[in-house]
Amino acid sequence: MIDAIKLRILQRDSIIQDVSTASLPKLFRGLPVIEDKPCPDGCKKCAEVCPTNAIKTEPLSIDLGLCLFCPLCEEVCPEKIIHYTNDFNLAVDKREKLIITKETKTISPEKASEKIRKYFGRSLKLRQISAGGCNGCELELNALSNVNFDMGRFGIEFVASPRHADGIVITGPLTKNMANATQICYDAVPNPKIIILFGACAISGGIFKNSEETERKFLEQNKIDLYIPGCPPHPLTFINGLLDWLDKK
Amino acid sequence: MNSLKVQNGEVFNHNEIEFLNADKFHASVLNGLSNGYRMIGLFPVDKKNPNKIVSILSDSASSSLYIIGYENKGDKLEFESFANQFPQTNYFECELAENYGYKPLYHPWLRPVRKQNIILGSQPYKFFKLDGDEVHEVAVGPIHAGVIEPGHFRFQCHGELVYHLEINLGYQHRGIESLMLNANPNQRIILSESIAGDTVIGHTSTHCNAFESLTETQINLRAQVIRSIAEELERIAMHLTGLGGIANDIGFALPASAYGRLRTLVINSLASLCGSRFGRGLFVYGGVRFDFNDENIKQIKSNLEIVKKDIEAINDFLFSSTGALIRFENTGVVSKDFAGKIGLVGTAAKACGIELDSRINFPYGAYRYFPVSPITLSTGDVFARARLRALEIDESLRFIFEQLENIPSGITTEKVGELRINSGVISIVEGWRGEIIHSAFTDEEGKIIQYKIKDPSFNNWYGLSLALRNTAISDFPLCNKSFDLSYAGHDL
Repeated sequence: MIDAIKLRILQRDSIIQDVSTASLPKLFRGLPVIEDKPCPDGCKKCAEVCPTNAIKTEPLSIDLGLCLFCPLCEEVCPEKIIHYTNDFNLAVDKREKLIITKETKTISPEKASEKIRKYFGRSLKLRQISAGGCNGCELELNALSNVNFDMGRFGIEFVASPRHADGIVITGPLTKNMANATQICYDAVPNPKIIILFGACAISGGIFKNSEETERKFLEQNKIDLYIPGCPPHPLTFINGLLDWLDKK
Repeated sequence: MNSLKVQNGEVFNHNEIEFLNADKFHASVLNGLSNGYRMIGLFPVDKKNPNKIVSILSDSASSSLYIIGYENKGDKLEFESFANQFPQTNYFECELAENYGYKPLYHPWLRPVRKQNIILGSQPYKFFKLDGDEVHEVAVGPIHAGVIEPGHFRFQCHGELVYHLEINLGYQHRGIESLMLNANPNQRIILSESIAGDTVIGHTSTHCNAFESLTETQINLRAQVIRSIAEELERIAMHLTGLGGIANDIGFALPASAYGRLRTLVINSLASLCGSRFGRGLFVYGGVRFDFNDENIKQIKSNLEIVKKDIEAINDFLFSSTGALIRFENTGVVSKDFAGKIGLVGTAAKACGIELDSRINFPYGAYRYFPVSPITLSTGDVFARARLRALEIDESLRFIFEQLENIPSGITTEKVGELRINSGVISIVEGWRGEIIHSAFTDEEGKIIQYKIKDPSFNNWYGLSLALRNTAISDFPLCNKSFDLSYAGHDL
C-alpha cells in the first residue's frame, strides 16, 4: 500500500493541465501556412515533391485531407512560402475547409447543431473502427485516454460495443476486407449518430489512395461530421476539435 | 546446398543465383533447414513472373543468408512442401500459394494469409473445428473491444480451457508491396513509415538500408548513430506501451497509467528530434533529415533521466506484486523447442531462451561499432515476455546515454545515386518486436521488380495460437498483449 502511494506521488500532476492552451514544440508540423508572396516563375517544386499530390499551384493551395505533414514541401520551397506552424487546431466539419490557401490563417469547425449538442454535449461515447489503420492513429487515440490527455474529464470516452456508442471514429483508408465489418458496426450504433474521420488515410486514402485494396463507398453514402487531419493527428487536435465542435470550451 | 551466400544488406547480382529444378531445390532447402537455418523468405524474384522463386535461409550463428533459387518449368505452379518436417516454413508456403497461385504439394493444412476465407484462388476455407461433448466455439473480431486493429480469432474451447485457437487476419491489407513497385522515392519512404505505424523507425530503417545498398551509398557514422538512437527510442516507447497494456489487462491501473506517462516523455523525445512523435520524416535515403543539436540533446537527456529513475520504481511495483505474478507466471507458455520449430523471432523468441537479435546476429548501421548486450529469459510465459521488455528498456537506455555522450561529427546526408541493375538485397533490422526483413530486386533497367516485406508478426502470430493451448480463455487478452503483434505489419 505504501509502495502504491509512493508510486502515485512519483507520477506528480498531469503534464497537460489545460488542453486548449497547451503548446507543442516548434518542430511539430501542425497547420501549414502559405505566405502571401509570389512564387518564382514556373516553380512547381512543392507540388512535384508532394507524395499524395495534396498541393495545387496557381493559385497555391494545400489539401490537408491528403497532406501527410511530411517536411518535403517546406524543404524544397526556395522562397520559404510554405511553412509549418505548431498550431494543432486542425479539425473541421466540412471537407472543403481542409483546402488551405494564402488567405487561411486558422481553421476550426462550425458548432454542431443544437440537437447534437443537446444529445452529446455532456457525454459522448465513441466506437473506434480501424479499417486499414497502421496503428499510428490507433496509438494516438489510445493516448487520449492516458493520464496526460485524460479525455474522460470532458465526458468523451471510447466504448467497447457500437451499441453503447454515439458515433464512430474511423482510422485507415477503409480496406476492402474491412468494408463489411465497418458497415455492420455503423448499423449497430443507435440513432442519432456521428462519424469522425481520423487521419489522412480515412479522410482521403492518404498514401494508399491509389491502392486497389481499398473500398471507400461507405464514406460516400454517409454524412461525415468531423474531419481530423494528420498522419497521425496529434491527440490535442482530436480533443480540441471535439470541444470546439461541441462548444465546450 | 546450392546457394548464394550473402550478408545482411549486401547487394548481389541476382543473375548469380542458380535456379535449380524441383528435386534439387527441395533437397537444398531441406539440407539447409536440417542444418538449423531458418526460412526468412519464399517468393518470386519478379512479382510479375512467378516461375522463378527464391527461398532465403538465415544462419544466425554465422550471420549468413543463403539464397536458393527454383525455376518452375512445368505447366502448373507447384513445389514440394517442407512444412511437414519443418513447421516454420508453413506460413511462407501459404503466402506463396495465396499470392502467386503456387500449390505446395503434400502441405498439411493450407490456410488463407490475407484473403478472407479462400484458399488456392477460389476454394472456400473451413476453419478447424473440434467435435465432442461440451466443446464450444468462440468467435471474436474483426472488431475488438478496445481501440485496436482488426483480426478474427476462433477459439475451440472445452469449458474455460482453450484447446485450439485459429487466427484469421488480412483485414488491414492495403497492398503495400504492390504500391512499392510503382512509387517514387518520396512515396516509398512514406509507405515504409506506414507499414506498421508503431514501428516507423524499424521499417523505414530496414527500407533505407536496402535502398542505400542498392544504390551503393555509404552512410556517415553520425547519421547511423542518430538512426540507432531513434530505433532505441522507439523500442523504449513501445515496450512501455506494452508493459502498460499488460498491467491494464490484469486490471492493475496504477502501473498501467505510470508506464503510459513515461511513454509520453519518450515519444516527445523523438518529436524533439524530428517533429513527429513516431519518428515520421526522420529518414531520407543517404542518412537522416534532422540533426542533433545542444538543445534537443539536452531535452532528450532530461526526459530519459526521468524515465530511468521512475521506471525502476514502477517495475519493482509491478514485478513484486503477488497478484500480478500469479497472472503472469506459467500463463501462455511456449517451450523453447516449439519456439524453434515454428520459427519465433524477436521478444517472443528471446523470452523462450532463443538467442536471436538482429542487432547482434546480423549487425547493421551503428550496431556494428557499438554493440548491445543479448538478453534472454527461459520460461516462455507472459512473465518472461513482460520482464524481457523491462530489461530491454534498461539496455536501450544505456545504449542511448552512451551514444549521446559521444556523437561522431560529420554530415547527416549523403548523395544517393541510381539503383543498381539486375541486383538484389536482403535488409534486416531488429525492430522492437523483432526481426524485420525487406528484400528488393531490380531488373536490367534498374526498376524495382520485387519488394518483399516480412514483419516479425508474420512469424509470431502462430506462437500466440500455441501459447493459448490449455490456457483459460479469460487469459487471452493478457497473452495477446504479451506478444503485442502487429496486424498492419502482417497484413501489409
